[in-house]
Amino acid sequence: MKLPPLHHNTPATLEEALDLLGEHGDEAKVIAGGQSLVPMMAMRLARPAQLVDINGIASLAAMEDRGDVLAFGAIVRERAAEKSSVVAERAPVLAEALPHIGHVSIRNRGTIGGSLAHADASAELPAVAMVTDAHVVVRSRRGERIVAAEDFFVGHFTTSLADDECLVEVRVPATLPGAGWSFQEVARRQGDFALIGVAAMVALGGGGSIDTARICVFGVAERPLRIRTVEDALAGAAPSPEAFEAAAADAARDLEPPSDVHGSAAYRRHLAAVTVRRALTAAAARAGVPG
Amino acid sequence: MEAVGARSIGARVMRVEDPRILTGRGQYVDDVTLPGMAHAVFLRSQVPHGRLLSLDVSEARALPGVVAVYTGEDIARLTTAAQAGAVSGMNLSPDMKSPSFHSLATDKVRHVGDPIALVVAESRYIAEDALELIVDDIEMLDPVVTYEDALDPGKPPIFDELEDNVYLTAEMAFGDIDAAFAEADRIVRASIQVHRHQPVPMECRGLIAAWDPSAEHLTIHASTQSPHMLRMVLPDQVGIPIESIRVIARDVGGGFGLKNSVTREDVAIVAAAKDLGRPVKWTEDRLEHLATAGHAREEMADLEAAVSADGVLLGVRMDVKVNIGAYPSDPFPGAMQAYTIIMSFQGPTRLRALAGTSAALFSNKATYVAYRGPWATADFLRERLLDIVADELGIDPLDVRRRNYVVRDEPPLAMLTGRPFAGVTTRESVEQAAGLMGWDAFGERQRAARREGRYLGIGMASYLEAAPGPRVPGQDGPDIMGYETAHLSIEAGGQVVIVTRQQPHGQGHETTLAQVAADELGVRFEDITVRYGDTDITPMAIVGTGGSRAATMANGAVLHASRELRGKVISLAADLLEANPADLELAAGVVSVKGSPVVSLTLAELARVASDEPHRLPAGAASDLAVTRTYDGGRSGWSGGTHCCIVEVDVETGIVSFERYVVVEDCGVPVNPAIVEGQVRGGVAQAMGAVLLEHAAYGEDGQYLAGSFMDYLLPTTTVVPRIEIHHVQTVPTDPDVNFRGVGEGGMIVAPAAIVGAIEDALRPFGVRALEQHLPPARIVELAGTLRPR
Amino acid sequence: MTDHRANRPAPGVEIELVVNGATRSAATEDRVTLADFLREGLGLTGTHLGCEHGVCGACTVLLDGEAVRSCLMLAVQARGRQVTTVEGIADGDDLSPVQLAFRESHSFQCGFCTPGFVMSTVALLAGNPNPDEREIRETLSGNICRCTGYESIIEGVLLAARRNVEAGLPG
Repeated sequence: MKLPPLHHNTPATLEEALDLLGEHGDEAKVIAGGQSLVPMMAMRLARPAQLVDINGIASLAAMEDRGDVLAFGAIVRERAAEKSSVVAERAPVLAEALPHIGHVSIRNRGTIGGSLAHADASAELPAVAMVTDAHVVVRSRRGERIVAAEDFFVGHFTTSLADDECLVEVRVPATLPGAGWSFQEVARRQGDFALIGVAAMVALGGGGSIDTARICVFGVAERPLRIRTVEDALAGAAPSPEAFEAAAADAARDLEPPSDVHGSAAYRRHLAAVTVRRALTAAAARAGVPG
Repeated sequence: MEAVGARSIGARVMRVEDPRILTGRGQYVDDVTLPGMAHAVFLRSQVPHGRLLSLDVSEARALPGVVAVYTGEDIARLTTAAQAGAVSGMNLSPDMKSPSFHSLATDKVRHVGDPIALVVAESRYIAEDALELIVDDIEMLDPVVTYEDALDPGKPPIFDELEDNVYLTAEMAFGDIDAAFAEADRIVRASIQVHRHQPVPMECRGLIAAWDPSAEHLTIHASTQSPHMLRMVLPDQVGIPIESIRVIARDVGGGFGLKNSVTREDVAIVAAAKDLGRPVKWTEDRLEHLATAGHAREEMADLEAAVSADGVLLGVRMDVKVNIGAYPSDPFPGAMQAYTIIMSFQGPTRLRALAGTSAALFSNKATYVAYRGPWATADFLRERLLDIVADELGIDPLDVRRRNYVVRDEPPLAMLTGRPFAGVTTRESVEQAAGLMGWDAFGERQRAARREGRYLGIGMASYLEAAPGPRVPGQDGPDIMGYETAHLSIEAGGQVVIVTRQQPHGQGHETTLAQVAADELGVRFEDITVRYGDTDITPMAIVGTGGSRAATMANGAVLHASRELRGKVISLAADLLEANPADLELAAGVVSVKGSPVVSLTLAELARVASDEPHRLPAGAASDLAVTRTYDGGRSGWSGGTHCCIVEVDVETGIVSFERYVVVEDCGVPVNPAIVEGQVRGGVAQAMGAVLLEHAAYGEDGQYLAGSFMDYLLPTTTVVPRIEIHHVQTVPTDPDVNFRGVGEGGMIVAPAAIVGAIEDALRPFGVRALEQHLPPARIVELAGTLRPR
Repeated sequence: MTDHRANRPAPGVEIELVVNGATRSAATEDRVTLADFLREGLGLTGTHLGCEHGVCGACTVLLDGEAVRSCLMLAVQARGRQVTTVEGIADGDDLSPVQLAFRESHSFQCGFCTPGFVMSTVALLAGNPNPDEREIRETLSGNICRCTGYESIIEGVLLAARRNVEAGLPG
């Protein structure tokens, strides 16, 4: 399990990095934390000839509270965000998701931006990006694009990033007052990729009924899925166990999850229903619905 | 250190091994670098079954940095094909058809991971680059995956020279089985499956072979449980005589039975090293390991039990199948489980008759190897059967165990196989475990929890472990693993050196053997050094460390050797001091006259006299203070005990958690309780993995599905709970040696206790667990809680 | 014996980093992992490779004080950084507090996973001198031991933590 031959580039500035990406095109791959890329190279499932290492680019290292959004530069480590009281307070669903990612030593290297760019369908952070309506900022020599999470994730390990583009920042909207969030996953062991996971939000309106609900299910398709029909159906409903049970069943019904050594499609679909119900229930409780 | 005279045996003495392993100074095989050493990797088959039509290695050979590429054809020229078990004679077992095969595929590939070619290069990185340049053409054949496939005459034989895929059949009977069934009030039937899983030591396999063409001598650095085994098995295949082979094994990163064989890779690496005349290192990587190093336990049995109305097993008929994969393990083929599962089934029960048939079957899967308690399926079958009997007859499983397990010194006094039930404390352990767990009060808790939608379950299982265990009267010779020899000597400085044939790989023998010698010889623990792992100095042994035998056999050998050496020391001192031997004592390395401590000689002084002043020795006395002693195991006794656990099952997700796990065990006198506890807990953790996480799964097409640590899941800190260990008052069976093995116990009995607890938790859903592997997806399926779409 | 090293392709780059407090430099290829560089380039074989795909934790080292898996980093990425391995925490023959607590707790058996547990624990206790069992288990869930069932390892960490408290470190 040794990596194939490669050339490691250490640009000092974003401009240099973008030049390298522009020059090498699909021969090049950005490396930040490398926690997914390096093992894929060791198994020779990925073999970029040129690694563009962005860890030395100081301008990508900032984690900022900009009021309406929290901005994470492309090399902000997952562990740094996990330890941040600002993240805990202002992006609670992100804070809740982070400890599910691998293990401490993985999160010490792994980056938020890298997880999104890697776009593993079973990974936690793409689902967080989807449920929070996050945006990613991508740059190339051609310019800058700001891409909504919904438009960023294309498939398993596939995003709308072009070969010459680099994800430079992740913008996660700060939570709204009164919104309750929940992140739940079922994994074989602590730290494993999720068999299935759900990120959800419930905000209450006047009279105690649901104003807004958001549900994002991951591990069930090529990319994390917002279940918008169910979200819409919940808006205006009373936050009752029966409503969440029905919403969960509706959310899971049409999923076509994969089968593998850990469980069948039927099992994952079943888990989706269980987990959506649990996540909605927990989110509602945090939004102030009495248990 | 303890005060002079304090007993070392029974104390939690800190391990001698630990300063080295805690500071990174251990030496595992991959840590060894020899001058001029090259690195090897294997090209492995991606297909389960196929005919090798062509192999083009020309581009790989041309890659700069590549030293050599060997194909099956090359290996057939350099080595001789062999039958597994030839050195042990097991290849000639009755009703067995043994195939011959080479270390690289020559005609066919027979499982995913089957080695096809061997690349030797200046670095492992380059060797892996070269692998990608090899082109093979393989004609796919129908894969043989399941028991049914293997018995299907329509499937191709995996070895062309054999007409079918039945490797071995066996039949054996004990007691009057027909009478037992005639007498039965009930017949209880069950078909029970144990899934393929694997040992997975944290250190993968590895080997460095260095051929000295001038001395015509081979040195092997190996990660092995049995250094001498390589010397015994290799000569016939590589053409180097046993006396020209030295095997060195320093620290070994776990084995669990896996490293008790000589593998095809070992043969190929030795052949390459000899051919090249330079050292070749092969360090297996984890992907190779999971697919090819060895799997275990794929076994099933159809059971039919004659049962009395009160739940006592009168007789059992069993038909066992073992899926041993493609290439039998050498020198102990997995087919031997066809015998041992039947022979070990009785355990501590009063069973009157047992009749079994069995078959070991070839398949297109990795080699079946020994794994911690190789007969463990027998214990799982028995304990599951007792739970099923309890369920069918509506009797408390605890009462069923009380009625079936033997009571010490009451008939039957021997097993059906003739082995005496000497000193068994099973019943005591059952009562102690039930009391500790509050078995009788549990039902109320369970009902209350169910009312809250929580599903708790309790399970219990008991076992006996022979390591080696009492002999059948009249059968006095050694078993396949032989007697145990230890060599003790006193060095010129007075230090004691123990040379053992054990090959510790985590068991702490450097500590425990020294503890035994410290007490028996009368020297300080820190003045004793245990040496092992170099066949130039260690006594011959087909198996070094395995079968949990060190406790009885190695400690016994050291105990008796120490006493003999002590006698020799006292006798010499008596002569020199002109004292009566009976008046002398040996403590802390000093021989003195009782009551007159000033009249004394140190071991250093005695050793110096023995070596440098032989004229002062009694006439005819040897000029060294050394003893070599072989121990036959004495009367030996059973290890055993009872495990009991409470689990909680989330019936919506299928996730199982442990509320409490209790072990009540009897391993005789523990030499070092901390080491005993570590062995027990480690075994239980592996059992938790087997039941909940670990499955060496193959698809119907023969593809291997558990090829990385993301698919083959080992238990972690958040899976394994605290495991309480309690000891039952042991009953000595031997006048001198009552240390008994604990290596297998946790692993062989815990699966039944855990599965029993899960089944109990799922009782409201009418679940009967007839399989050992219960991952969350399966639990939800069994419980019927899987929602319809 | 012939010197075959002449055939060896030239490594790509010379890198310099601080390992266990000493500045070390050696040649390596870009593709070589930090783990392989430590083991083969610097001869520090205490760092073990148990899976090479980031699951088992045996290769854990400290990078600027934080636990990382050295199989998931390139050696060239450690250029100019501080790396601490299991060889670098004892004071001569005196075991470090974590090593001593593990020894007294009989924490390990075969020793292969041990370096990773030692380094993960050093990092854990540096961040929180007195973690509870739950935090210990969660933090160490990325290190696999096949021998012990973990209880003895947890006991070792708890013992080291108790000594931190006795020594007045904040808990």
